[in-house]
Amino acid sequence: MEPRHLLVSACLTLLAAPILVAQEEGPAPLTEQQRAAHVLSRLAYGPRPGEIDRVLDMGVDNWLKNQFGFKQPEDPRLEDRLSEFQTLSMDIAECVTFTSTPRKEKSSIAEQRLARRKNRIPMEELMESIAFRAVFSERQTTEVMTEFWRNHFNVSFTKGQSIYAQMPDYERVVVQQNVWGSFPDMLTASATHPAMLNYLDNRLSRKPPSKQQLAELERRTKRSTGSKERAEEAVQIASQRGLNENYGRELLELHTLGVDNFYKQKDVIAVAECLTGWTIDARREGSRQYVFNPEMHVDGNKHVLGKLIREDRDGGPGQGMALLEMLGKHKGTADFIAMKMVRFLVADNPPEKLVAKVAKTYRKTDGDMVAMLETIIESEEFWDPANVRNKFKTPYEFIISALRITGCEIGSLGELERYLVAMGQPIYNCDDPTGYYDTSDAWLDPGVMALRWEFAVDLANGKVDAVAIPDSFYDQVPIDLPPRLWQHHLTQLILPGGAGARTRAALATVTSEYLEKRKVPDLYELGPELVGLLLGSPEFQQQ
Amino acid sequence: MNTTRRDFLRLAATAGILSQVDPFTSRMFAAPQSPTGSALVVIFLRGAADGMNMIVPMGDPGYEALRPTIATTIAEGVVPLDKTFGLHPAMKALKPVFDAGKFAPIVCAGSPHRTRSHFDAQDWMEFAAPGDRSMRNGWINRYLEVTKPKKDNVSEFRALGMQELLPRSLRGSYPVLAVPTSLGRRKTSKTLDRFERFYGDSGDMMEGGESMSGQREEDRAGVVQSGRITIETLRRFGEIIALAEKKKKKNIRNNQTVSGSSYPKSKFANRLKQIALVLRANEGLEVAGIDYGGWDDHTQEGGVEGRMADRMTDFSRSLAAFCQDLGPQLDTTSILVMSEFGRTCRENGNSGTDHGHGSNMLLFGGGVKGGKVHGDWRGLGETDLYQGRDLAVTTDFRDVMNEVLENTLGFDVPKEFFPQYKPLAVRGLF
Repeated sequence: MEPRHLLVSACLTLLAAPILVAQEEGPAPLTEQQRAAHVLSRLAYGPRPGEIDRVLDMGVDNWLKNQFGFKQPEDPRLEDRLSEFQTLSMDIAECVTFTSTPRKEKSSIAEQRLARRKNRIPMEELMESIAFRAVFSERQTTEVMTEFWRNHFNVSFTKGQSIYAQMPDYERVVVQQNVWGSFPDMLTASATHPAMLNYLDNRLSRKPPSKQQLAELERRTKRSTGSKERAEEAVQIASQRGLNENYGRELLELHTLGVDNFYKQKDVIAVAECLTGWTIDARREGSRQYVFNPEMHVDGNKHVLGKLIREDRDGGPGQGMALLEMLGKHKGTADFIAMKMVRFLVADNPPEKLVAKVAKTYRKTDGDMVAMLETIIESEEFWDPANVRNKFKTPYEFIISALRITGCEIGSLGELERYLVAMGQPIYNCDDPTGYYDTSDAWLDPGVMALRWEFAVDLANGKVDAVAIPDSFYDQVPIDLPPRLWQHHLTQLILPGGAGARTRAALATVTSEYLEKRKVPDLYELGPELVGLLLGSPEFQQQ
Repeated sequence: MNTTRRDFLRLAATAGILSQVDPFTSRMFAAPQSPTGSALVVIFLRGAADGMNMIVPMGDPGYEALRPTIATTIAEGVVPLDKTFGLHPAMKALKPVFDAGKFAPIVCAGSPHRTRSHFDAQDWMEFAAPGDRSMRNGWINRYLEVTKPKKDNVSEFRALGMQELLPRSLRGSYPVLAVPTSLGRRKTSKTLDRFERFYGDSGDMMEGGESMSGQREEDRAGVVQSGRITIETLRRFGEIIALAEKKKKKNIRNNQTVSGSSYPKSKFANRLKQIALVLRANEGLEVAGIDYGGWDDHTQEGGVEGRMADRMTDFSRSLAAFCQDLGPQLDTTSILVMSEFGRTCRENGNSGTDHGHGSNMLLFGGGVKGGKVHGDWRGLGETDLYQGRDLAVTTDFRDVMNEVLENTLGFDVPKEFFPQYKPLAVRGLF
């Protein structure tokens, strides 16, 4: 035991020379320093300057305790900043009023532009606030898990303008408020949220209208338009309305059971029928919230997964609620959620034993988020050195962690968003209901690395608009040391988990080349060059 | 489910690829292997495109009744291809290609698997292995792997994904470059130089100095590998495009004929334009893949005009321009268009269509038996339809892939290349 320990710690502290170590007995358990780096990498978007020391001071376990839930006090500067956003705390009706411009017969181009601009405010504010939280929040695990659930219950701005004003409320009411609650509660919150009802079309899904309803529609349209043809046309269109399977299918496939687990096409239809009438109150003075419309509901008992789901005798949404309750308690849901969480927090190939343990916790606690997370961090697998820095960062994780580790100051999201678009992961813009994947095979295609390198170099050289690495970051390097050694300190700052031989050799070459060129070396000149390379290094691509 | 790269690395390690025979050394861009330049361009319409709204069964007596608000008719501009089928008005740009015998639509093509999940169906179509969850290599990637040239003097510039992330058909053990759209050429070239040392081929895979266990070593090696391919292939790609553009300008100055094709202004058209440049450069490009997303028309699909029509207009104009741009090179090129499944024959309650089964595939190229609609059409009666609601599949998508691989790429498709595959139909597409 002892000699191996010595060797490993020697490797970790001696950054200068590449040493090859024959490992025969398997890796040693993580040191406290490595544990701190690991939790800050996996349950946070990487450390900010000095954060590893702060976690070590308070103890890794204490840090973790504060992170599960909202116990950790928030940074007041972040709160101040978030309070400047206008739409974040609005409910949907308020947001609709805020963004809409009264229609006029003729509006000037400037007025039209202003109207469009107003429309986009909720989108811009939501995206920017999410990035700010991810970078600056002291509740890092909350942010990491919020992002996980955002993707699990994906809704997207790509749906079009109709969803813009629904999204801030979705983020708050569905995701943020349930992130430390229970999975079934989040499921119900998503199922009854206008953004989801809109995104996956359930708001439109209904039983075909009756003859009586069509006659009523004809009469009303004729009265309001005075045109017989218009009335007939309205009836023609209305008579085609009916069931829409989109949400029913994704509810089973993506939100609860996992694809083709337990269910068949007939279950998809039955699920869609149970949920007919779950729509949005879109009347002129309506609430804009979820409402159950019994006129759209397909009446009668249904069978889902071989179980009878009774019709609500009071004519309410009880049938859909019973369906959600069944799905929330289903073994398949427990397994699927457990698998996804372990894959997200431990390894792309989730260790089966741990998945089973987390699924058991789910069943025991009715999907309690804190309990499931505790099962994960109390496991051997989470702390297994094989599962440290083994996950390829998504573009979002890469950008956020680069901003954090360099202690960046951010004025606005603006250009950062453009990099996210280029790398294929703009915030809340995943068109597919799967949400963004978190596994390497979704992101590690040859080619995309070029975009990460460009971002790394641009960031380090102050070429990203409204974003800057402060001088104080470089002030951490003891400037009176020989310039040859600056690279070691910068490496420790950007790659607290250590750098491989190739990376160290490459950095040494870059440093020597610089020192040959410059008689009077300048840390604030060489530093950015090295930081760009470190952020683009293979090591930094993994969390 | 996500094991592609690991499997590759494991495979590569056992095959000694990573440790001994490094395919990415300086010899990689030697003379192209097949100067004749037979090539395949694969286009995937993501989201399950409504094939019935592209190749419209206008002559089928059941058609209009099934689609009261979204059907299109000859009177509205459907372009007849034969008695039964016509092109949607938004696809009319492809009629001249059809008339020239270089466009062969195949109706009722698709997967024998019953899934209506986009994500499974896409995976299984692009892995060409319906229902097989163990397959992680795309069908094109498998082709590249099996036909990998063994010796020097080969082009490693054989396949390109024309987007940030590779289509699944190109994913797998054979390394393929995804060409990001948003790179500035000069800046990118500098960036690539800068990072070469960090991802170059001379470094050790062991990452000594850090205690890494086997799994992590593979994970890191995957990142380094990806970076290395990025540098080498992207650099070459930039050179080819720059050279081709220079040549083109010179030709224009010298008043030499260049194809008079006019691409629409769109992302899709731009990518096709780049493929044409690379193909003309004769660098040994064999396969290029592009995705075209957004076809999941559950609501407001539209008829003659509308959301789907807008997409079809861009799609068909771009393709028509591409065919023209390729000129004589089209004779040795095939373009294959597919989508994961079709949509319900009956429109749904929201002037859209839900997930269905059979769809169609579109095949273009000088070598194809075009000017004719291929495939068996059973009609739209209740009993003709799959599960009473969707088009039946009378051509397995692998039937088409099989013929394309054999005829376009001259590939003698080995048994079990398509696992568990029994040909459904020989279509005689070439």
